[in-house]
Amino acid sequence: MTPAPTAGGAAAPPAPPRAAGPLPGLGRAAWLAARRLAMLTVLLAAVFAAIELLPGDAANATSERGETAADMAARRAALGLDRPVVERFWDWMTGLPAGDLGTTAHGQPVTSVLAGPFPNTLLLGTLALTASILGALALGSWAALRPGGRTDRTIAVLSTAAFALPEFVLSVALLLVFSLWTGWLPAVTLTGADGTPASWDMLLLPALALAVPQIGWNTRIVRGALADQAALPHVRAAVLDGLPRHRILTHHMLPGALPAIAVSTATSAGMLLGGAVVVETLFNYPGIGAVLSGAIADRDTPLVAGVVAATGAAISILLLLADLVRERVLRERP
Amino acid sequence: MTVETSSPLRPRRIRRAPKTVRAPGAPPAPKRRGRRSHALVRALPALLLTALALTGPLWAPHRVDEPVTAPYAAPDGAAALGGDQLGRDVLSRLLHGGAPLIATALAVAVLVTGAATVIGILAVLRPRLGRWVERAADLAILLPAVLGIMLIGLAWPAGGRLPVAAAATVLGIPYAVRVVAAAAAPVAASGYVEAAAVGGERLWYLMVREVLPNLRATVLALFGLRFVEGVYVVSVAAFLQLGPQPPEADWALMIRENAPGIMLNPWAVGAPCLAIGLLAVSVNLAADALAPARTTPETAL
Repeated sequence: MTPAPTAGGAAAPPAPPRAAGPLPGLGRAAWLAARRLAMLTVLLAAVFAAIELLPGDAANATSERGETAADMAARRAALGLDRPVVERFWDWMTGLPAGDLGTTAHGQPVTSVLAGPFPNTLLLGTLALTASILGALALGSWAALRPGGRTDRTIAVLSTAAFALPEFVLSVALLLVFSLWTGWLPAVTLTGADGTPASWDMLLLPALALAVPQIGWNTRIVRGALADQAALPHVRAAVLDGLPRHRILTHHMLPGALPAIAVSTATSAGMLLGGAVVVETLFNYPGIGAVLSGAIADRDTPLVAGVVAATGAAISILLLLADLVRERVLRERP
Repeated sequence: MTVETSSPLRPRRIRRAPKTVRAPGAPPAPKRRGRRSHALVRALPALLLTALALTGPLWAPHRVDEPVTAPYAAPDGAAALGGDQLGRDVLSRLLHGGAPLIATALAVAVLVTGAATVIGILAVLRPRLGRWVERAADLAILLPAVLGIMLIGLAWPAGGRLPVAAAATVLGIPYAVRVVAAAAAPVAASGYVEAAAVGGERLWYLMVREVLPNLRATVLALFGLRFVEGVYVVSVAAFLQLGPQPPEADWALMIRENAPGIMLNPWAVGAPCLAIGLLAVSVNLAADALAPARTTPETAL
């Protein structure tokens, strides 16, 4: 198999010591982690630069009617916006590893604003991601068992249709069917005293609305990766040897398809977190969606930048895991 | 895994083998024509729906900002799909609300596909640029489109639809370039392009006359996919109240505005929902039909 080369792998001048030293696997993992970290740093720098270059800042975004120029200057000073760009960038970046995401336009630490809702979104996202991985693996494998058959074609059309649907369209459809017309599931999420959803069935509809498009997308990836595997000589040999179909699928095709599936899962996580903002608004779910919606109304750029940083970090971790899966598969079958 | 060349074939395969031998070379031509007309048929719903949405304002019975019935009134003679949160005609707003969304998404799709085609082919012909393109795509994965658009829409609040379209274009290009580059790589490596390059043809000639004609299917399918992505991003932004502002009629904005009255008049939310859903799904299926067929021969299990 020929793995698609990613960014720095081939291009970066300091070639990684692949099999040197007592712990070659660990050295390689550290190299991959450093690369992902570098990518994340570049992204955060780009985000900071974009905020700087575009008109408007947190001070005039939250300004009130009739505020004088002196009041504005005082607020800028209070928010630390009067300091040089380089200094503020350095402060923001060095604060990130310690969990300090900066200050919102209202003067609260971003971290404390996100501390309550972020775990709820993480719970919802994890649920949807698990459902989409399992669903995609099942549907993709089912389609791959009979290439070109009726099941294969039906799953192809359904998954293509599913990944085109915006999450909020799906949310409204689910709300209409499962909540308003049949009354089986609650339409809004009620929040308990501890800030988490009051009961588990309130998670079902939002998670479903998030998972369905990703199931569609990942099914296509799984199906494509399995088709690439099925064209290889070792699978043909296994078929000619008369091995059972399920064994060929699980032992000869899926292992080779794993790197592509892992990368697509990591990409899905990003789309899930983006979609969560919308779905949470519709279902009144107590996650970062509500916080971000409020941030848009207040034009609170530092808060959005903080969420971008946290999301970028989460996706980077998943991409690193995908890198490690690819490493492992490549080492086993060079 | 050892391959035993002497292992006996199963009877099933032997029976199947003559089928492919019997007709050498005859079927491919009609089959290909069949595939193309099939693709046109599958693209038809998307074209019809787009045409209907773009000409919608011509059919609308009422003005978009004129209350004609009670707020959230059920469908009746005055308003075929009932009233919205201010008693305005849902059907008229529905017919008006598609054109701006589709126009924005089309603009994004044209820009992204055009830029990605040029950069993607360049990246294959000039490998040094290709490595930078790979890095940019790796970077863009880290920023979900919705968050990127929020960021730019917030920092540039007075721009209306422009910041949303600009952000969707910039964030969409890296991934699209990767798709074009992946399709262009085998073409650029083929002998005739190398011969033309060695023969001293200029870069733009290589790009436009040698490589591009072989990427028609890829570029068409990419355009369809970018249009779907454009509809997604622009409508999500509108739903988050970035871009179109009330009292403008916009499908995504209608969903957001009328959601509180979903119990009283489900059509006020359901109709724009259905419109966006049908548009996205039909265009995606059309793009799928136009996409180049998989070339690797798959072993039947």
